[in-house]
Amino acid sequence: MGALYHERHYGYSLVRVLTEDGSISLKEGTIYPILARLDRDGLVRSEWVESVQGPPRKYYALTSAGRQLFADLRQEFDVLVSLVKREWTGREDSETTQRKLLLRKR
Amino acid sequence: MNDYPDVVAKIVDDYLDRLRLRLRRIPAREQNEFLKEIQSHIFEAYRRSTDQDETERILAVLRKFGEPGEVVSDRLPETMVRSGIRQILPLHVVGGILIALFGVPLGFGGAAVLLGVLTALVGAAVGYFAVAASLVLVSGTLGSLGLVRVYEPALWDVLVAHGIIEPPPSELFEVLSPSSQAFVMIMLACVFAAVGIAMLWLGKYLIRGLRFLFGMVCDWIRQWAQSARQAVRRQWSPHESESGKAALRAVREPLA
Repeated sequence: MGALYHERHYGYSLVRVLTEDGSISLKEGTIYPILARLDRDGLVRSEWVESVQGPPRKYYALTSAGRQLFADLRQEFDVLVSLVKREWTGREDSETTQRKLLLRKR
Repeated sequence: MNDYPDVVAKIVDDYLDRLRLRLRRIPAREQNEFLKEIQSHIFEAYRRSTDQDETERILAVLRKFGEPGEVVSDRLPETMVRSGIRQILPLHVVGGILIALFGVPLGFGGAAVLLGVLTALVGAAVGYFAVAASLVLVSGTLGSLGLVRVYEPALWDVLVAHGIIEPPPSELFEVLSPSSQAFVMIMLACVFAAVGIAMLWLGKYLIRGLRFLFGMVCDWIRQWAQSARQAVRRQWSPHESESGKAALRAVREPLA
């Protein structure tokens, strides 16, 4: 959804965008059921566009509902990340304190 | 439109056929659109790949694209059907009537009757397949006997003499020449085979219907169990110990 936020894509170009930096590895075909589901749920709209280079391409763009959901999900994800970071920092702090106490006892 | 070399075209067609098989349960319009999109992807990936060998190129493209089973998981067709065009099957209606008649008003007794009906239906299905398989078996035997009658008359006579074969006690059959008798037997075998195979083929709808009915009953039981569990939980929650409540508060507070 993030990849579709700023510009519309067709399946092949979307796969290229998602995999070009190597951070995501996926079987290319698995993107289509996901796009079909998003389309069905009204989160993306699709449109067939003729291509001079071959068969027509089906372009996808986020709808306003899709944009809203993406913004919500992003917010939730940010909260989750900040919670995990806080938990992690807290744990590191307590471990340091315990180590200091141990050294003092010795 | 897709200018593939012959070999590549065959590989792509084969792949799309396998994919189509997995999509057979979704409406034709959605199926065609899905396949058209995938066709477009494969063509573009093939056009952009740099391998020299055409076969290697297309195989690499399809490997990256994923096996049909990976692309279309078993659950996808159902999800697409459920969310897309709803299909009102007569079986849905039958299932609804069965539950409405037996399950809901009569409680446990109704459920038992419903299970009995389902068991009877399973029995009927087993009987159905037994008949279909018998017909195919009979057709095979009859066909073989027809061939024996025309090509190995001596063997036929031996079999009749030993009582292994009992020719039909029909005067008409006796009047016929051996080749005509063989023809009649082979024709009958063909009819039996056609009926048996048709029954086996139609049986898949029977199985699908039964699976649906069982699924619906299981869903119904699961929902009932869930509501019962919730009722029990509600009943027990006022008796929670004070220490338990305090512990729960302690866990929840930092999250608030």
